[in-house]
This record gives sequence, C-alpha cells and structure tokens, in this order.
Amino acid sequence: MKWLWVPLAGYFALPLVATAVLSLWQGTRGYGFAAYVTLIHTPEMWNSLFLSARLAVETIIAGLVILVPAVFWMNLRLQRLRPVFDFLSVLPLVVPAISLVAGITAIYTGPDWLVGTANFLVIPYVILALPFTYRALDVGMRALDLRTLTEAAQSLGASWPSMIMRVLVPNLITALLGAALLTITIVIGEFTFANILLFNTFAVYINHIGSTSATQAAALSLLAFLLTWLAMLGVALGGRRAAR
Amino acid sequence: MISLEAVSLRKVYGSRTVLADVSLALAQGEFVSLLGPSGCGKTTLLRLVAGFERPDGGQVRLDGRDIIGVPAAKRNMGMVFQAYSLFPNMTAEENVGFGLRVRGEATEARRKRSREMLELVALGEHMHKYPHQLSGGQQQRVALARALAIRPALLLLDEPLSALDARVRVQLRDEIRRIQREIGVAALFVTHDQEEALSISDRVAVMEHGRIAQLGEPAAIYEEPESLFVARFVGQMAEFDAEVDGGGVRIAGHTLPAARAAGHAPGQRVHFFLRPEHVRLVEPAAGLPGLVESRTFNGPTTTFRILLEGAGRVLATVPTVEARHAPGETVGITWDPSAPRILKLDGGAPPPDA
Repeated sequence: MKWLWVPLAGYFALPLVATAVLSLWQGTRGYGFAAYVTLIHTPEMWNSLFLSARLAVETIIAGLVILVPAVFWMNLRLQRLRPVFDFLSVLPLVVPAISLVAGITAIYTGPDWLVGTANFLVIPYVILALPFTYRALDVGMRALDLRTLTEAAQSLGASWPSMIMRVLVPNLITALLGAALLTITIVIGEFTFANILLFNTFAVYINHIGSTSATQAAALSLLAFLLTWLAMLGVALGGRRAAR
Repeated sequence: MISLEAVSLRKVYGSRTVLADVSLALAQGEFVSLLGPSGCGKTTLLRLVAGFERPDGGQVRLDGRDIIGVPAAKRNMGMVFQAYSLFPNMTAEENVGFGLRVRGEATEARRKRSREMLELVALGEHMHKYPHQLSGGQQQRVALARALAIRPALLLLDEPLSALDARVRVQLRDEIRRIQREIGVAALFVTHDQEEALSISDRVAVMEHGRIAQLGEPAAIYEEPESLFVARFVGQMAEFDAEVDGGGVRIAGHTLPAARAAGHAPGQRVHFFLRPEHVRLVEPAAGLPGLVESRTFNGPTTTFRILLEGAGRVLATVPTVEARHAPGETVGITWDPSAPRILKLDGGAPPPDA
C-alpha cells in the first residue's frame, strides 16, 4: 500500500505547488514576490480581510450565545428531541446556499444598521456554521456527565448562570475553540451570500482579483489556504491539549 | 429531634408509580440507608429530598419546615453522587471550595475550610491535584469533602461506593460512617448492596415497588424480616413450604423444630426460612438426613449445598476449620429451634427475580 502515497500526495500537492509557482511569476521579469508586495499595498484587500474577520467574530459570538444554552438544555432535559436537533443541524448542508440567500433576503427586513450593512451577513453565516458549531458543542457536552455535574453544582448552591459560566463553559473550552475556528474558516471562505448581497468580503475580493490579476489571485488563494490550515491546526492542537 | 421528614411521598412517571405513599423520618445525626433492588424507588426518594424532582404528592420537611417549593440550590444539602461528579476543570481544593464560592464566602475563609475538609478525608496533600489525577476512591473522598464543606443540613449519598473496587469500597464505607458521626449530620444513603446498608446504618429502610417494606435497625432487618420480600431479599435463606404442627413445622413428612411456629394456628400453611449460618451439620441419625451436593470454600467459612429428600435444598455455612464433609456424603442437619423464621403465605408480595 506504500506506493499509494505517491499519487495521493501528488494529487494534493500539485495544485498547491502550481498555484505557488504562478503566484511568483513576474512575466518577463522572471520570478519574485511582486504579486505579494502589490497585495500588501492594496487597501481593498485589507478592508475585505478585516470585514471578513469582523463578521467571523460576530458570527462566533452570535452562534455560541444561541447554541450553548440550546445544546446544553437539549442534552440535559430534551434528549428525545435529539433527532430534531440533528436534522435541523444538517439542513444548511443540504439546502443550496443560493436558495438560502434568496429566501433570507425576502424574509428579512429591519433596521438599517442590520439590513443596510454587512452585519446582515451574520444571520446566514450563523446558519451556515450551525452544523459545525452544533456538532462541536454536542460532542463536547456528551463527553461530560452533564446531568451529574449540573446536579452537583445545584446541590452546592449554584444558580443556572453560575453553573453555566463556572462549570459548563470552562469544561467546554476545547469544543468552543473548535466551533470558533471552524466558523472562522467558513466565514472567511463564504462567497455566495456576500457576492449576491454586494458586500466586499475576503472571498469576494479573491474572486474580483482573479478577474484582474492572475498572479495576485494565486497569491491570495495561497494565503487564504494557509489561514484555513492554521485554523485547522489550532483545532487539532487545542484538542490534543485538552486530551492530555 | 427530627431532622428530615418525608410524609406520604408519591411520584408517578406516566403510568408507572415509582413511589407510593412513602413516609420516613431521620433523627438528628442518624444514618439511614435506603436498600432495595433497582427500580424500587430508592433513588427517586433521594432525588425528591434533594430537590431534583418534584413529588406528585406528600411533603418533605427539613427541621420542621416544608421545603417542597425550595429549589435544589437553596436546600443546603450535601450530596455525593455515584461517580464523575467532580468538576474536571478544578483542583480538589477548588472543588471543595465551590459551594462556598457561589455563596460568596471570602477567599481566605474558603481556602481554610477546603483544607480542613480535605484533611478530614485524609487528602490534604492532594489538594492541588485535578480529578483525573486522583483514583476513584480519592475522587469520592473529595466529593464527600465538597458535600460537607457547605455545612449541610443533611448529607445525601447516592450509591457513592458502587463504582469502586471491593477493598476501597469497604474502607471508604467505614470512613464515611466515621466522618458522619464526627460531624453529627444526618445522612440518607442509597444502596443496592445489603452488606453496605447493614454495616454502616443506624436504621435500614428496605424498599420494594415504591414502598418501604420494612424499616428498622440492621439486626432486626436481618433477623426478623417481616415480609416474604425482605426475607428473600436480605441475605441468603433456605425457603420451604411448611405446615404448622404444634411447636414445630412439618416439611415433607418430617416434623422439625421451629419455636416461632407457636404463634400460628396448627395446620396452617406457612413459609419456613432458615439462614445458612444457623444450620449445623451432624451425624445422619442425629438430624434431618440430607445429601451433600457441593462444597464452596469462602475463606473463613465453607458453604455446603445439601439436598433434603422431598423438601428441596438448604445451604449450610460452617467455619472452614470445622468443615469435614465432602460432596456425595450423607449428613444430618439440625438447628436451634429459635432460628427459623416463619411467615404466613400472604406475607407480602414475591420479589422480582433477584
């Protein structure tokens, strides 16, 4: 089976290597970092990256504030609703993004700070991140003996908020971290919503630059890829630290 | 003085009655065990007292005050769970101090109390360890220290020893009793292990199908079972259908000594119970003859299974130093006339397969 690694590694590595080579191509001036230098000096790139980062943070906060109590309660008291939760959580994976965006724009009207700005994207992003956030939290909570811990805290005099903040959240750090990092990768890479709703997020900018400068697009894709991998590495390391 | 009083507690899940009219009172400093097979309602009773469940009827009074409406967090009861109840993110010391922390007690006082409690359970030097660095027995000691740190009005123990191995179980069992006596707090202890219940309790409540079948001191439960269920559930007994015959009973054509038969009308059908340790082995002619079927070595004692012609089997446990018989031998069995327990045929419901 050892020989299988060669084509497999090539299958994954070749596109990356090709992208890297293209990003370093300077036409008649040979190879160099010109594309990267130009990118770094492009304010639009930074603006789009910051926008995506801000949306990621907002999505993480909104997602966790909704899901931590919901998954906690489901695990503690509503076990029989688990199939419903499981079904709901995979819906965003089954429903195409395009139909989501059409539905959401039709339904949501509201104050200008929400509908008129990129903050509006947080709503679909929370939905898009739902399968991953839900899974991460559910796995984290199932690993704990939630009922016993809750009752122990109660019998010692802890109120619900005190129980959630002092016992539940500290024991879910790995799960929360995993959910957060997965959300970041989703938000950074999301294109359909942002593009249709005309917001200049990182993914939209990558697409835009792709139609103007092939080498810069290659460079940016590579950076985005790196960012995603760092996030994944974060999940893996966080998981290992908690498993010690 | 009465500490805890449960009055006519009822609990129903759907069509299943888990507790049917259970009343129980604990005196100050008393240690009472709830003993019974799984599904008898003992844990439900404990959870009603703790406030994790609400009863469908009845009252729970603590020091004379009705606490049914009081949430678990405000009942001030220390509870020790079966296992895995320590907060994994906190050290032993932080675990023990948790109850005081949520009560807003000052850091110094909290630390002092936590250390005292950990010393009490002999874990002073482990106070900076996390639960996963402690053995199962140590974890349960921390859980006990944590339950006691809040100066509880009542100590609740939900099978705290069932997840431990035999040696640690006995050791911790005695320690729980010692500490409970030292502090003087009343304790309610749930267990399905009769040896545990009989060895550490002031009183034992044997439960069956959501009712207390018998409540009494351990010796009374063991020696004087009042119902068929208790007789069959607690300890081992040989059981025969018998007929009262004067000062004894008739079993399979033999008239046998049983002082307690005197209380029943002659000719009445009864159950005859005999504990293995009351059976003496003698020469075949000097007692009821039987065939030794098997011999089991228990260490200090040896148990013989003896087939009695036409009546059934009886177990005889004798000190190993006196155990001379081998399987296949014919022996005679005899007993002190005061030893057998006689119960009427309708003396309680038969137990579920146990």
